[in-house]
Amino acid sequence: MNNPGIFDHEAVNRVLQPVEKANGLPNAHYIDPTIFEAEKKPIFFDNWAGIGFAKDLPEKGYAKPLTFLGQPLLLVRDRLGTVRVFHNICRHRGMILVEDAGAIRGALRCPYHSWCYDLDGALKATPHVGGPGHNAHEAIDRDTLGLIEVRSHIWRDVIFINLSGEAEPFEIANGELIKRWAEFETPIFHGGPESSFKLRIKTNWKLAVENYCESYHLPWIHPGLNSYSRLEDHYNIEEAGKLSGQGTLVYRQLTGENGEQFADGPGLSSKWDKAAEYITAFPNVMLGVHRDHSFAIVLEPVSTGETLEHIEIYYHDKSSLSQNLEALRCKNAELWKRVFEEDIFVVEGMQRGRHASKFDGGRFSPVMDSPTHLFHHWVAGKIAQAA
Amino acid sequence: MRAKDIANIEKRLVDATAQKDTATMIECYRRAAAIYEATGDENSAAFFFTNAYVFALEAGSPHANELRGKLIALGRI
Repeated sequence: MNNPGIFDHEAVNRVLQPVEKANGLPNAHYIDPTIFEAEKKPIFFDNWAGIGFAKDLPEKGYAKPLTFLGQPLLLVRDRLGTVRVFHNICRHRGMILVEDAGAIRGALRCPYHSWCYDLDGALKATPHVGGPGHNAHEAIDRDTLGLIEVRSHIWRDVIFINLSGEAEPFEIANGELIKRWAEFETPIFHGGPESSFKLRIKTNWKLAVENYCESYHLPWIHPGLNSYSRLEDHYNIEEAGKLSGQGTLVYRQLTGENGEQFADGPGLSSKWDKAAEYITAFPNVMLGVHRDHSFAIVLEPVSTGETLEHIEIYYHDKSSLSQNLEALRCKNAELWKRVFEEDIFVVEGMQRGRHASKFDGGRFSPVMDSPTHLFHHWVAGKIAQAA
Repeated sequence: MRAKDIANIEKRLVDATAQKDTATMIECYRRAAAIYEATGDENSAAFFFTNAYVFALEAGSPHANELRGKLIALGRI
């Protein structure tokens, strides 16, 4: 749906004010299903949205279907190992091609009329299209009827897509973030089953991002973290129109019972001895980096009031995957799961609060909430552009 | 005799389809195609070679190339 007239542009303009004066996005952006639909194009489809992880395509020839904001998609690792994203439909009548994830031994065969596609999307066979036993017809040019590929990019193992095909290249759209974390452009290693979990929360996806942006809530919501990483140890990270988040100056490495630790990533400067940063790649991928490990959270907007968080933890040295560190990896995952679970009641509480008809979208502390306002401003800007 | 062979193949096909036994489906379609090929019935042969071909493509079967060759020879690719 592309219906810019549906937005309250007066309220959206109030978000675009400086942080000292701005209100947050109006309630409708959190509770109105019509607005949820209308946001899809300017916020997600016209930008680079995270939809999954390359590690979920474990081998060449593997395919995984998923639905993202109603769009049926197919993640494929082709025969050369390249990850591609297609619309999960046959070009004939639009039938869904693949229902279950798995290894594709040969071609993708549509279950309806058996049109067959290679894993690079090429249409290989159109059985009986010209009549029984006649597999070609001059009106059906196979070269033009391959699977519809969706523009995609992998970064930090996250699969991003730009459905409209019109966004700036990923390296430009997220250039500031890539540059900021340039020292982490080394191989990362997924921690295994214990490093993968999901949280289903009754909140609009934007509230998860807004909460992630700021450290202001640490003393009240994350007392364990706050015991060694206090408010004054945190700093705001802001690039207007691009990214926002927070950093800490006192990251403390996890240590096992016998003093074991995860190894650092290669070539890191001393900044990262004690620093860690948490930034959202707008709109929906929340990332965290530390000297020895990182994580990625892909927010899947299920509905206006429900979000599924897909959380994956990675390590920066292959030695961290060894058997003797399994207990430490489990402990690390449990600690992060606990932190993310601590946020649930506040994001769900804000979601419920958005039904208060007199709420004006709220206000921002110019000191503590500027990253959050930056995200609201980004969303508002995209909506304003859509008008 | 041919009609009985075809009937047996069709019965095996129904069972194989229900069990998603692609290997048996390919074999059945190939055998049916061969029977019609031997009698010079090109249309029926092409029909069954086509069905064998698409399942062979899906399965990554080594028969796929041979079946494609049959269809090319019949001018039906």
